[in-house]
Amino acid sequence: MYNIKRNILKLTAIFFILFAFFTAYVIYLQLIQSASHAHNPLDSRNSVLNDNIVRGAIYDNRGRILAKNGDDGARYYPFGEAMAFVTGYADKKIGTGGAESYFNQELSGKTKELTMMGPIGELLRNNQGNDLILTVDSECQQAAFDALEGRRGAVVALDATTGAILALVSSPAYNPNRIVEEWSALNEGEDHPLLNRAINGLYPPGSIIKPMIVDMALENAVTDEHELFTCGGFLDVGGGFSIKEAHDGVHGNLHLKDALVESCNVTFGTLAIRLGADNLEKGFKRYGFYEPIRGEIFESASHIPEFKTLDKGDIAQIGIGQSMLLVTPIRMALIASSIANDGVMTEPYLLEKIISSKGIILNEHKKKELSRVMTKERAGLLKNWMEEVVLSGTGKAAKVSGIRVAGKTGTAENSSDKEHSWFIGFAELEKRKIAFAILIENGGSGADTAAPIARKLILSFEK
Amino acid sequence: MNRTHFKFFLSTVLMLFCGFSLIFIHRNPTISNVNYADFKYLPWIASALIMAIIIEIVVVRIKSRRCAWMFSCACFLSCLGILAIARLDYALTIPQIRWFIVGMAAFIVAVRSEKILRQMLNYEYILGISCIILLIIPLIFGVDIGGNKNWLILGNFRIQPSEFAKILLVFFLAAYLSEHRKTLDLREKRLLFFKLPPIRFLAPLIAIWGASLLMFVVARDLGAALIFFAVAVVMTYAATGNKSYFIFALVFFVTGAIISYYAFNHVQIRFNIWLNPWSDPRGAAYQIVESLFAIENGNVWGAGFTKGYPTFIPEVHTDFIFSAIAEELGLVGSISLILIYSLFFYQSVVISLASVKEEEMLLIFGAGIMFFLQTFIIMGGVTKFFPLTGVTLPFMSYGGSSMVSCFILLGVIVALSRKENVNV
Repeated sequence: MYNIKRNILKLTAIFFILFAFFTAYVIYLQLIQSASHAHNPLDSRNSVLNDNIVRGAIYDNRGRILAKNGDDGARYYPFGEAMAFVTGYADKKIGTGGAESYFNQELSGKTKELTMMGPIGELLRNNQGNDLILTVDSECQQAAFDALEGRRGAVVALDATTGAILALVSSPAYNPNRIVEEWSALNEGEDHPLLNRAINGLYPPGSIIKPMIVDMALENAVTDEHELFTCGGFLDVGGGFSIKEAHDGVHGNLHLKDALVESCNVTFGTLAIRLGADNLEKGFKRYGFYEPIRGEIFESASHIPEFKTLDKGDIAQIGIGQSMLLVTPIRMALIASSIANDGVMTEPYLLEKIISSKGIILNEHKKKELSRVMTKERAGLLKNWMEEVVLSGTGKAAKVSGIRVAGKTGTAENSSDKEHSWFIGFAELEKRKIAFAILIENGGSGADTAAPIARKLILSFEK
Repeated sequence: MNRTHFKFFLSTVLMLFCGFSLIFIHRNPTISNVNYADFKYLPWIASALIMAIIIEIVVVRIKSRRCAWMFSCACFLSCLGILAIARLDYALTIPQIRWFIVGMAAFIVAVRSEKILRQMLNYEYILGISCIILLIIPLIFGVDIGGNKNWLILGNFRIQPSEFAKILLVFFLAAYLSEHRKTLDLREKRLLFFKLPPIRFLAPLIAIWGASLLMFVVARDLGAALIFFAVAVVMTYAATGNKSYFIFALVFFVTGAIISYYAFNHVQIRFNIWLNPWSDPRGAAYQIVESLFAIENGNVWGAGFTKGYPTFIPEVHTDFIFSAIAEELGLVGSISLILIYSLFFYQSVVISLASVKEEEMLLIFGAGIMFFLQTFIIMGGVTKFFPLTGVTLPFMSYGGSSMVSCFILLGVIVALSRKENVNV
């Protein structure tokens, strides 16, 4: 009798402990998981949210309409293809994408705060959705999209101080006004018009990696500003392999600054070898290559090789942005913006604020500094050197009189065809500092193809 | 009936009033166009409540207050279940209230047949054999409904015999284990490192395990098989305190699980969608993914009764009723539900400890365990705490067999509990 009682008590204790674990799990589901769940596109609740609701409109930073409901209830996108990857699309059958997807709840009149209030929030909700004000500048966005002329490529422009995304262009693009009719054709499109190249395209960076290598080399004191490098046109990396200059050029004797301005491959190959695997890895970590941007911008993770496994030749290739390195345009824009912002990387963002139909600001972006990636002095030095690239080096096509423009060209070899054309840099306008990254797939030389687009981009802000 | 009891009963009534009002508003959004057929349930629920309050007064008088508490909890859960079902599928409201009334009637019968119940405990083998017969009947004459071949059709009624076999199982185990407790703890035979009694003493237990295995293989009733197996193991340990049974059962279970994983496609699918529901969220894992969406959408306060979308979950009114509550009543609702079931289980344990006879103590504890395991297995299943196996949530899930068998089991606990007032 006594034994049975003891056994029963033991078992009861075990069961209550198990139940306690289960309770903790339910709390985890409904408190913590619940918060991260809100943007899951698979949840059909997101599409029924719009029933009996006038979906909110989306505006750019000048107050121009990017998306709104027409009188017939259909969603209307005035900028069409140019804004495709900013606005995304909303359709009951094919779902949502872009800002339409990420901010679906908010556009449908539901915000995190209302959800937290539960049934009371349900009472406060009316049949008019909330409006979004985005950071993009439609002038700049349109100019960038037009400048790509339908070629495969991407343009990202950021406000260097705040991280606001001023332009997010990927080409070719789909037209959100006609997405339902064209859905199957788009899915099979050879040029992948549904792929957002600006944040999900992965490309070898080529020479635009060089400002970063300058910073790493000076930071780790493997060289200084006064060392004289000798460029004989090629760098022997052993095993019968060598790194060559573009167009079989020979730079002769030059300092680090000139090596950047002239984009001397021999010097940067040498620097990468001197840095070695550990320093390179530390450097790439510092610039956030291992931590893709998450949230409203869902960046693809960069492909960074395991440096320790690379031989000398591949390490030298890293110094000129080749080998197995693959990066996204937005990541490179972020690096340009860190240099422009005196070495501090700020988180890029797309949503400025959410405004209710009654004009109440429900949510406003708060600037978030990610990390300091280089010292203020180093950033100042790179600014001057990159300005020299535009004034007298490979980036002359980006020059705009009366505005300080700095940049770096890139001509990245790849397996597909002609080189990818790159240009990253920044411009100090009257009102703000903008940073940008421009990429044209198989566009050839960065100096000839990408740099002129930067000029158009900068001029568009003057309007 | 004292004040606390009265308050608890009142809160049940109040909950029903608020819930049905919300459902009414939800179904009739415009006042000019009210459908008066919606009030048909009123006489049913009124008679159910009158029945409940009479039972409560009587139970407190002839039994202990603790028993009355258990009955109050059961009524509260049944009423919450009725509300949830009315909200999910309005056509099932009156049938479910009807089952509630039938359940309470069965409860009265069980409480009144105290003597018979005590005598039944002397016929362990008859109990065991009838339990197994009850399990086998549907395998021969049964009908396949919803992938489980465990239904019998008698005229207009569909019965799930396995729900009633649960009661017999608890009876059989209590009778058998208390009778053979000493012999079962003999540690004569050594099997590897287990100390076990001679095989003939173990045979009835193995028969029960075999029956549960058969149920699982032939009827594909994973949930019931798991409950049978687990209750047998837990009660054996309670009676003997021999850990070898636990280890032996665990080995048996793990081997069985591994074999069935490779042998049965449906087991494999169940397990895989538990491990990674996101590999096929629109296919095999549809139900569990929708259930998770519902629970996560609940947040702290819930979407509000009738304001969520629990009907996105297929078959929500039977196995997934917990997810529906969690979405619309939020964390507050789901934790309250967990607490009420815990209180219910706790009361049954205390009642069992107060018994003077071994077999009655085991019987009451077994009944409590039966409630607890069902609750835990289905709640844990729909929240993806462990792989989903379909069992009903006691008193709440839609269905007559489940409701009636739960009330009978509760009736058995009350009937066998000691008459005098134990401390509350």
